[in-house]
Formats: sequence, C-alpha cells, structure tokens
Amino acid sequence: MLLAATVQAAPLNVRLLLSDRSPAYLQFSMSLSKALASERADVIVSETGGGAQPDLIVAVGMKATEFAITNFTAPVLGAMIPKAGHDSLRERYAAQHRSRPLSAIYIEQPPERQLDFIRAALPGHRRLGLLYSPGARINLQELQSGSVERGLSLVALAVRSNETLFASLDEILNQSDLLLAVPDSAVYNGSNVRNILLTSYRHKVPLVGLSQAYLNAGALCAIFSTPEQIAEQTGTEILLFARSRRLPEAQYPTSFDIGLNRQVARSLGIFLDTPETIRERMNKAMEERR
Amino acid sequence: MMRLKRWSGVIVLSAGAACTGAMAQNYPSEQDYLQEFPVVLSASRLSQPLSEAPNAMTVIDRGMIVASGFRSIADLFKLVPGMYVGYYHGSQPFVAYHGSTDQYARRMQVLIDGRSVYLPPVSMVDWSNLPITVDDIERIEVIRGPAAASHGANSLQGVISITTRGADQVEGKTVSFTRGSKGINDAAAYFGKRGETLDYRMTVAYTADNGYDGQTSPPNGYPITKFQADTLINNSNDSNQARMVNLRANYHPDGVNSFDAQFGFNHDIQGVGFWDSAKDPFHDVISNAGFLQLDWTHQTDVASELKLRYYHIRQDQSESFTHTSGTVSAVQTSQVERDEMELQHTLQFGDNNRLVYGAGWRRDQIDARGYSTSAPTFYSSALTMDEYRLFAHDEWRITPRLLLNTGAMFEHDRMGFQGWSPRVALNFHLTPEHTIRAGASMAYRTPSLVEERFRASLPGVLFIPNQNVTFAGLKPERILSREIGYLGEFHDWDASLDLRLFSDEVGDGVYIRSAPTAFTNGVSSRYQGLEATFKKSFGKDSDLTANFAHELASSNGPALLAAGHGSMSSKDPSDNDILSASTPENSASLLYAHRWANGISGSVSCYYQGALQPYDRGAIDYQPIQRRADIRIAKAFQPSAGVEGEVSVVVQNLLSTDYTEYIASNLFKRRAWFNATLKF
Repeated sequence: MLLAATVQAAPLNVRLLLSDRSPAYLQFSMSLSKALASERADVIVSETGGGAQPDLIVAVGMKATEFAITNFTAPVLGAMIPKAGHDSLRERYAAQHRSRPLSAIYIEQPPERQLDFIRAALPGHRRLGLLYSPGARINLQELQSGSVERGLSLVALAVRSNETLFASLDEILNQSDLLLAVPDSAVYNGSNVRNILLTSYRHKVPLVGLSQAYLNAGALCAIFSTPEQIAEQTGTEILLFARSRRLPEAQYPTSFDIGLNRQVARSLGIFLDTPETIRERMNKAMEERR
Repeated sequence: MMRLKRWSGVIVLSAGAACTGAMAQNYPSEQDYLQEFPVVLSASRLSQPLSEAPNAMTVIDRGMIVASGFRSIADLFKLVPGMYVGYYHGSQPFVAYHGSTDQYARRMQVLIDGRSVYLPPVSMVDWSNLPITVDDIERIEVIRGPAAASHGANSLQGVISITTRGADQVEGKTVSFTRGSKGINDAAAYFGKRGETLDYRMTVAYTADNGYDGQTSPPNGYPITKFQADTLINNSNDSNQARMVNLRANYHPDGVNSFDAQFGFNHDIQGVGFWDSAKDPFHDVISNAGFLQLDWTHQTDVASELKLRYYHIRQDQSESFTHTSGTVSAVQTSQVERDEMELQHTLQFGDNNRLVYGAGWRRDQIDARGYSTSAPTFYSSALTMDEYRLFAHDEWRITPRLLLNTGAMFEHDRMGFQGWSPRVALNFHLTPEHTIRAGASMAYRTPSLVEERFRASLPGVLFIPNQNVTFAGLKPERILSREIGYLGEFHDWDASLDLRLFSDEVGDGVYIRSAPTAFTNGVSSRYQGLEATFKKSFGKDSDLTANFAHELASSNGPALLAAGHGSMSSKDPSDNDILSASTPENSASLLYAHRWANGISGSVSCYYQGALQPYDRGAIDYQPIQRRADIRIAKAFQPSAGVEGEVSVVVQNLLSTDYTEYIASNLFKRRAWFNATLKF
C-alpha cells in the first residue's frame, strides 16, 4: 500500500472496450473488476464520452482492439485476441503504433504448451493430424518443429474447398492418432463440426479441441484459458502499468484449464490421467527443456 | 491511499455502431475460440467400450470385412467364436450359435440399423434377400449370449447387430465389378454426398453366383452306398441373382434434431430343390423384399436424448413348379409385412449413471396361399400378430473401477405370453488394462408361426402356415445364461485378449415329438465352454485377429429318443446326444492383414471347425473336420485426374481341401474372383 501510494499518486484512468455483449466478454469484464477490487487497485474506468482522457485502453477482442487503435491515442492492451490477429493489427496500423504502445494478452495457448499437453495427456498418440484451409493463419513450421522435438509427427493437410473437406478428413484420419483442431472457421464451424466429430469418432481418432465448447461437443480433451483467467492476467498487467506506465510484451495467457471428456475417452478405450497428473507432467517437460 | 474509484461503464462495440468500415472481416478472430457447438458425441451416441459391455461381444469392422474377402454377409460370422455358418442351398445360408441347428436358424435376434430382420413364418433371416451389400456394412457387433434387455425379442442365444454406412459416410462415386468362378458376377455403384444439413448415399447393385460346386463323386472318406452316392451327384440347383437398391439420407437442420430415412429393395431369384425330391424339384423362388425406415433423434439437452424409430418391411415370395414326376402343378405365394415403432430415451445422471428405457410395438402380418392341381387344391392363411415390449437398461459406475449393468425387457408376445427377460453384469477394472466381467441373463424365444401352426406335406420350399393353431400348448423357449469374462487390453503391445467362460441352459426347447407328431416343448440342453479372441496390430500396417471356441453340449435328447421321439435320434454313431453331436467341440478362425507401402495389401484367413453331425440331417451329411484358407491380394492406384481405384483377387479355399456344408451335396471347392473398383 505504501509502495503503491509512493509510486502513483493519481488514479489510473482505464477504459475498457468490449467487442460485444456475449457471455465471454461480460465474464471478462466481471472478472477484471473482481481482480482489481481484490487488489484494491487505484483504477478508474470511465465511460465513453465525458471524463478525462484515458491513460490506458483495455480492449477485449479484435473489434474492440482495432477500434481503440483507430479512435484513441492512449496505449492499448488488447485482451483475448489471437496472436495472428494481433500481428495483423500491428502490421496494418504500423504508423499509429509507432507513436503509442500496443500490447496484447492472447486468447490461445502457446504451441509448445499445446504440444506438451498432448504428449502428457496421450503419450501413446504420436501421429498428429491437422486440417486447415489455405486462408488460415497457422504457424505450421512452429508446430512442425515442436512436434519433432517431442517425438511426435505432424501431418497437415490443406483443404482446397468445402467440397473436398470430408475427403481430406478421411485422408488425414487414416494417417493420424489424433486430430488437432486449429482456429480456422472455414474448417471448424458450427455446421461442419458435427460431421468432423462423427467421422473422427468412427475412425477412432479423437479430436483435441480449443475450448470448453469443443469438449461439450465431443472432443476428447482441450487446454484453454477462460475469460476469467485472461482477465486476472490483464488485471496484473494494469497494475504493472499503473506503476511503470509501460506495457509489457505481448504474451500468452499464463493460467489455463485442462479439460477432459471422460465419456469419449472411455468409449474410445483411451486412458486419461487426472488433470493434475497431466499438468505435473507438462511442467516437468517444460523444466527439462530449459 | 489506493482507491477503487469507479467501475461504472463499459463501452460495448456492437456491430455497425462503433465499428468502422475499416473493420476487416478477414482478421484472425477470437471467435474461433469462443464459438459454441452442438453436442455431437452425446452420451447416447457413444458406444460402450468392450471393457464395459455387459456381454461378450465380437466386433467385425470395415477393415476386417474387406480383409476377409467374403462377398456373402452370412460368411462374415465365421469370424465370430462359436458361430456355425451353414448353407441349406448356395443362396440359403443360416447362422447359428452353439452348433448347427436345422436350416431355419431362429434363436438369434438379427438387426440392421436397429431393424429386426428375422421374419415370419419361420423367424429366420433370408440373407440373400436383404437389400444391402457387404460393402454397405460399416460394422457388425455380435453379442454372444442373450441380450433382450437392450436388443429386444428373440435375443435368445445372441444378437447380430449390423450397422450400415451412415448417410455421411460415402462421398463421391464408386463403381465395382466382380467376376469369378462359379458364376460369380457382381456389379455395384455407390454414391453419396455430405452437406451442411443433408447427407445422403445410395447403392445400386447386382450380385449373382451359381452356388456350390456339384458333387461329382462320393464325398471323401465316408462309407456310403451307391444309391446314397447317386443322390448327391449334381444335386445342386442353387444359383442366385439379386438386384437391389438402397438409399439413406440424413437431415440435421440443427444440433438438436436428426432425421434419418432409409429405403431399400431387393429382387432375388434363388434356385432351389433337389432332383431326387418328389415334391421339391428344381425350380426358382422369386423374392421381393423392401423396407422403409425413419429415425428421429432429438437431443433434449447434453444429458438426454429421445429416439423414435418406425420401419416397415415387406417380403413377397412366390414359386411355381410341377412336382411328383411332373404330374402336379403348384403355385405358392407368401406375403409378409412387419411394422414396428420404438421410442427410446437415454438419460445421463451425473457422471456415473446412464439409463436407456423405452417401449416398442410390432405388428407382423402374413398372407400366404397355395394352389395345386391335386388335393389339397387351395390352402391359405392370413394372420395379424401384435407384440409389445418395455425395456430399461442402466449402466452404473459405482466406483471408477466397478461398473454395474442391469436391465430387463418386459414382453407381451404374439401368442399372448408375458414375461421378463432380465440381465445383470458386473465389470471390474483390475487396472485400466485388465477387466473381469461376471454376468447372468435370461431370455425367451416365441415359437415361430410354423412351429405353432404347422401344415404338413407342403410341396416346394415356401411355408403356408395353418390358419389355426395346430399344436396347442406350445410356449416360449427360455435360456439362462451365465458367464465370466476377462478382457485384457495391452496398449503397449497393441494387443487385446477377450476370454469368456459360459454356461447356457435352454429349457422348454422345441422339438418334434412322435405319436402324435407335433412341435412341442421338452428339450433341456446345456452348453458350456470357453471362447477366446486375440487381436494384435504390428505397427500400423498389420492386423491379426484369432478366435477360438471350445464347447460341450449335453441334453435330454437321449431320454426323449428312448421315449420314442425319433426326431431326437442322433445320426452320429459315436454320440447318441443329438445336440452334442451337432455342436463342434472346437472351432477357430484367424485373419491376418498386411498393407505394404506401394498400395499393395494382402490378407490371409484360416477357418477350422471340428467334426459335427448337422442337426436334423442324415448320417450322409456328416461334416468331418473342416479346414479352409482364403487369401485376398489388392493393389490400390494413386489418384490421378480425380480417379482412384483398386484391383483385387480373392481365392477361397486356397488349398482346395474340398468339404461339404450341412448337406452332403453342398461341395465347396477352391474358387476365385477378381474385383476392380473405381472411385471418382
């Protein structure tokens, strides 16, 4: 308290922008509020229009982040945005960016963590299959080299069109032990996911998902960071900013959940350890690489 | 002082308002992580793994079906431990469990996509007249042991459950041509399309063959008289031609509802009869079978699903021939219809309980007629029979290692009998790799129409049941089955071992009594044995499946024979118990498939069956030890210009160890065929 008081006399003026009012964003907003409250942070979050110029914009989602860049001059912390989205924005608004800091807390898991998770949760599944559309921004090289490092093999297949999606799916499932979902709405969307899950289930090749929604639909497992976890991390970054007036480097979420679908595992005859054991194994693997 | 000033307002960017036109849609978006999906693999859609099933189960999947080389669906059951596959004629297979039955195997439930296809008046399956090809089958599950609680009536000795390829499992067009010895001549076209809300697939097929090889000399090693031998020579008129079409469509407008519609038709011409038979001379039976099936699945929430099924089956058969040395002309027709409706609700309670319950109604109708130029000149029957059932099955995970399956079916059968068929099984996972199962179940079989309303001395092969009950007092057969199973799944070795020790006791078994001659209850029999299945994969390119069954049967057959009931006489001089003699003591099968890198694949299968005296056949039909080896070799061609293909050769009975099946004139020699398949 003493430290805070000496470092920062005036309250920090933060403006929170949400991309829309769907549950994920509202959860983020509530959790950030809770996080700051528990830290007793000296933060003002002002409404649109009136009030002082904000010291920091916390923009949740891509829409909000782009809006912040184009409408404000204050530093922008984008939260819950994909790394590829962040990179695109930096590229596009390079001119505006030079004059003011832009950083982000990504929504997705770092590729190494994703691979460590697969290795820890499913040690017997070594052939990863990946289906993507040519328009998707996926860092295949990083996944590829990370897989090799861990004794895994990755087969990635580009889907030329929606017409050939299921032919490609059959092809990839025939040479894989696991299907790795990627953030690519041309492949993984509400209308395709049914046939993708049914087909992979019939091939006895489980799907590794990207979120709780994937788990509910029938993915075998997933690691993901919840809006609450990202909000807490955002809270911490806001406090650091309050002290230093500097934004950190763009970063991946630090906390994450391990989700397992035991019913699917049982039905496929796959043995899954507890999330705690899997997490321990992931930590160990990470330490060993250091 | 730290102050939390105000947490009042939040700007929400709604589409169009705050977003400028510069908001490009093609940015990678967090929506990929936030989107919602329908529940696809719901609790009710997930199949029970073998280690948690309440019964011993054999799964024959697509890979095994292809590797086996079989082009007859019934032959696939040679890959199930303890199954007997027999043929009365080249196109009239029958599948039985616990040894040979007569040619009308009728103690098993046979389902295709949940549609019960054993039909009156005999309650057997006409395998050649099913409107599906072997290639339409995605997988077969065979439950060894009664399973009425989850599979309905007639699940006395076991259940065959065939799953055809889903509407979403065929993409593009495939044509296939097969030519081979013994008149084997098949052509098929498959096409299908997957879409966002509608999937469909269709099959058009023609299959033909000339059945068994004619017996041209007396069977090896069996002492028979010249007269007996003569009756066997060239005594097979068993060619078969089937033309069929089937269509399956699935409409899934949202994540909650799914509508599946199926239609199929098969026009089949079967050669039947024997040249030395006075009343069943060589002639053809013409069969037209069709079905329509509608399934509606409604996901009420993550843990609950409703399923409503309706189907209609119709089979029309006719035969027209002259018999008694060409002096009498006869025409017989039979028209059978089945309508069935079933409603089922699957409910998941927490993580540890899954309950399935429901109700079903079935109506069978038969209209059969015969005309003859000698008395009786006209005979017919028209019957409508209803049956109802209620069922419930619960899977309770008491602890992570202990699973209790309990279930029961209450049945009101077509004869008015009511009864419960309960089942209970306890599965204990010693470790995730080792599971022990102990179970007991009971089931009933309602006598077939022919057994209850028999009409004696009919010519030809079709049954025209009597309009009235001829054998009053007949009641359902019942079984009490007990088993102990072990399943080892060795993931590190890519291997599994499935063992089952069983004791099945059949009571009130139906047999033909003498003086007066009648179908009646009275056989008590007991089947005990051991069944084993071992599977192993060698890398990703080789798969091995080995099955073995050792079985001993005993019954009160000798006592019934001593009491003067001649039908229970064993024709095996070394065994006076007809049921024991008709059950092979040991049987085994082995299937090994390997895929090489350059698109070449090969498989070998071997079958062994101990000697047996086919039930209700004469001593001449004795089946000595049967050994058979089949191979299949295929070469796939890489896609070029959007076309890919495969050519394959299948040789059955490679070593040409000629053997006979069920009837001594059914001689099976080496045969081979060639197939070419093109996909585009």
